[in-house]
Amino acid sequence: MQVAIEGPWSPLFGRLTLDAIPYDNPIIIGTFAFAALAGLAVAVPVLYYNKLGYLWREWLTSVDHKKIGVMYIILGLVMLFRGFADGMLIRTQQAIAVGPTSPGVLGAQHGFLPPFHYDQVYSAHGTIMILFAATPILTGLTNVVVPLQIGARDMAFPYMNALSLWLTTAGAILVMLSLFIGDFSAAGWVGLIPLTELPYSPGVGVDYWMWAIQISSIGTTLNAINMIVTIISMRAPGMGWFRLPVFTWTTLSTNIIGLTAFPVLGAALALLGADRYFGAHFFTAGNGGNLMLYTNLFWIWGHPEVYFLVLPAFGIFSEIIPTFSEKPLFGYTTMVAATFAIAGISWTVWLHHFFTMAAGPDINGFFSLATMLVGIPTGVKVFNWAFTLYRGRLTFSVPMLWSLAGLFLLLLGGITGMMLAIPSVNYTVHDSVFVIAHFHCMVLLIGAAIFAAVAYWWPKVFGFVLDERNGLRFFWSFILATAVVFLAMFALGFEGETRRLDYIYDPAWRPMLLTEETGMGIYCLSIFFFVRMIYVSLRDRIPVPADPWATSRTLEFLTASPVPFYNFAVTPQVNARDELAWRRAHGLERAQPQAFEVIHMPSNTGIPFIIGMLSLGFGFGMIWRIWWLAGFSLLGIILAVIIRSFDKNLGYELQPEEVAAMEHNLATAGMFAEQPARIQLTEAEAH
Amino acid sequence: MKIISALTWLLVLGLASCASGDYRLFHPVNLVAGVEWWSTLFEVGIMSLIIVPVALLIVWCLWRYRKGAGAAYDPEFTHSLVLEILVWGVPLIIVAICGFVSIRTIHAVDPYSPGVLAKAEAAAAPIDIDVVTTDWQWLFIYPAQHVASIDEMVVPQGRVVHLRLTSTSVTNDFYIPQIAPMIDIMPGMRTEDAFDAAKLGVFTGFSADFSGAGFSWMQFATRIVPPADFSSWVARAAASPNALSYGAFTKLAQPTVNEGAKISYFSAPDPQLFDKVVMAADSGVVYPVSNELTRSVANLEIGPAKPTGAATK
Repeated sequence: MQVAIEGPWSPLFGRLTLDAIPYDNPIIIGTFAFAALAGLAVAVPVLYYNKLGYLWREWLTSVDHKKIGVMYIILGLVMLFRGFADGMLIRTQQAIAVGPTSPGVLGAQHGFLPPFHYDQVYSAHGTIMILFAATPILTGLTNVVVPLQIGARDMAFPYMNALSLWLTTAGAILVMLSLFIGDFSAAGWVGLIPLTELPYSPGVGVDYWMWAIQISSIGTTLNAINMIVTIISMRAPGMGWFRLPVFTWTTLSTNIIGLTAFPVLGAALALLGADRYFGAHFFTAGNGGNLMLYTNLFWIWGHPEVYFLVLPAFGIFSEIIPTFSEKPLFGYTTMVAATFAIAGISWTVWLHHFFTMAAGPDINGFFSLATMLVGIPTGVKVFNWAFTLYRGRLTFSVPMLWSLAGLFLLLLGGITGMMLAIPSVNYTVHDSVFVIAHFHCMVLLIGAAIFAAVAYWWPKVFGFVLDERNGLRFFWSFILATAVVFLAMFALGFEGETRRLDYIYDPAWRPMLLTEETGMGIYCLSIFFFVRMIYVSLRDRIPVPADPWATSRTLEFLTASPVPFYNFAVTPQVNARDELAWRRAHGLERAQPQAFEVIHMPSNTGIPFIIGMLSLGFGFGMIWRIWWLAGFSLLGIILAVIIRSFDKNLGYELQPEEVAAMEHNLATAGMFAEQPARIQLTEAEAH
Repeated sequence: MKIISALTWLLVLGLASCASGDYRLFHPVNLVAGVEWWSTLFEVGIMSLIIVPVALLIVWCLWRYRKGAGAAYDPEFTHSLVLEILVWGVPLIIVAICGFVSIRTIHAVDPYSPGVLAKAEAAAAPIDIDVVTTDWQWLFIYPAQHVASIDEMVVPQGRVVHLRLTSTSVTNDFYIPQIAPMIDIMPGMRTEDAFDAAKLGVFTGFSADFSGAGFSWMQFATRIVPPADFSSWVARAAASPNALSYGAFTKLAQPTVNEGAKISYFSAPDPQLFDKVVMAADSGVVYPVSNELTRSVANLEIGPAKPTGAATK
């Protein structure tokens, strides 16, 4: 059944040969050296302080939603940095390779990246930023915050939560591996069809892209199930639907989108896989294949994915703006309605990603109107945030600044998005860098929400202050860089520059390309401030009270900082929509429980990590067509699942006196504390 | 903060360099592009009616209600029926107006039969051109004139041009800023596009949708010439010793980077050529791009030689 493939193949190593390692490319060797140093910088202290056991027991095998969330965010930040480095390469190449006389080095006729390398870089940039940076960071944030906001002990399925994380990690590792072993896809992050078919992409690049997304998206789907069940069934007593914090509402809507959209992507990629591995013709141009079917399927996932990312961002703004306006959110009910309106409409707009397909005026008209409808609930949200500010008492803390910047990015993204929704306008800027600038407004809005959320919840989760001085510098330099890069990019769109150009044939674009490059320099500066912000915070570790902002409104700020691993010593009774604000108004925010009860906790397990690593082996085997590796890895996964199903894993109980002791000395229960081995419940005890 | 203020001038500098560019989209030269540009301006205008006041409202609130400014503080202000009606109603009206304009202009610039060109088409018969993209060149076939050209499209001023487009290999996107709207070009399928050749001049056209390693070098010249010059151009192309049979075409369609978009002409193209290309792709004919080829595009010395004897201008 195996299709004819280009190049050698052996049963032991599949398509893998020594040639696959690009040791002759100084950029990749430099990157490898950097990655190796970064790896050593983590590994050496871990080994020196003998913390390998701690790492395994407290983190890699953890089922604690907060630790899983933090690991998601760390994974996302590493990938964000990688994605930024790709962006830097793209911008630098375009700044150099302008006009027929421009110089070329490292095997490129112009610039320093020949097409086959450049095309991989921008494909990796998109894939990483959407699927391995924004998605894991937001998943991580919802993981950390939502169970706390609804007063739950953990997620509904702690074991599945860990599994989601390690599947996503396996996907991310595959993307990183493609840098050093073989190539990544050179067919865009969307997988431009039929460019991704074997005749036009005979190498392993598309396979890397396909399997990395496939494996990580299983993780995202499982996480969506977990979130939905958690929000529906784990709310603290008294928390009715209309007492849910808006961030929880947006998480619910986003995960309904995730649960229904990601399987479509999985199916599309599986069919593409059938084409590439078995010589099927689902999406080929000829032999009965239908290439636009792929494009439709991809965007049936791809557009909801945009809202999958942006709705939690809106939720974050809806938490932070009231806190720093010292006022409840204006129009809570409308806000929830608008959230679900956006989520619903997100299913009906996918064709606007290819208005130029020549679908005819009626079809384009339908999708144009549907797309514009998104503008209504989004406009409602902006108004509601504005009226929340009205008659408030505003403090411009770092999270507040990020949220406000996000609002302005939303306005700019909104006006350009409405332009793109009109086919007659779209025909002039579709596939131009104008579109790139538009959706970077939207994803940087998500970025702004992420940095707002990190600044907002950091002191809560870790129990110490996030350095504000460097935080402000990070904010201002990042926003300035965004303005410089993307305003110039809008201008280039009007000058007629299209996407994905390795070589710039029109020298008239040079001034704007150099402006963009300047902006990239400012981004580098902002990364420096970000790293310094984290460093200074970790160095000083200035402790904070349970409510570090003194004006927070929701339940997560009721429990101690750092959040104990059992979340709430006693499950809180919810009395109002903004529970903490209600308790503050009634003088109850410092009320301590009179007695503690037994807390039932899930035990840690290494099986999710093992399944994740086996998935990595499976993906690597499939990519290089090393069938024995793929086969044994798959067998291993099945065995691990069977073994787990016989493991009763009933968890353990925290006794009241132990809880009381930890409530007195919070550091012993916090994020970094090592817990003693605890005895698992026996079946008899559990009943 | 010093660093920040020191950097702010860069933003000013960046905005100043806006004046330097060649903003093609701001200068439509025919009816189709005119409608598209008008739609753009209209949309920006209408949206500004809501975006600008909201932005000003936010900025005003930020200044007025900053802590310590002593403005009225009212934590009870969380609901207002009038405002709720307004926040749903205003966006609804704006969207309704934009939607109306969208639907109207879709028909005006529909690539298959632009309403805006109806009069011009009635005045003079449109000229037909078949466009075939290969990896990575443009072939323009003139079925009525019996000539074909690579990377150059010449049209007489004052006529409406009807294009039929297809691809031999992967998807491309046809685009000439200021003149013709974008339209996808897909293997095994036929799409159409139309524009009016209103103004004399040379305009760069290109593929907007990534099609592989040679994509960045995939441009063509669009020359709108006086009708007399068009006739002489056709005569010159018809004099080319290279006839474009389907067999000759399959050699031409092998992956080739045409650096500098050098122009070639062909006489007597196979009258069924366009349909044969569509049917070939439908029945599974591909022009594979090997890894070796993709890698070596770096130095642009690749691809088979141009079909022997092709007349090069």
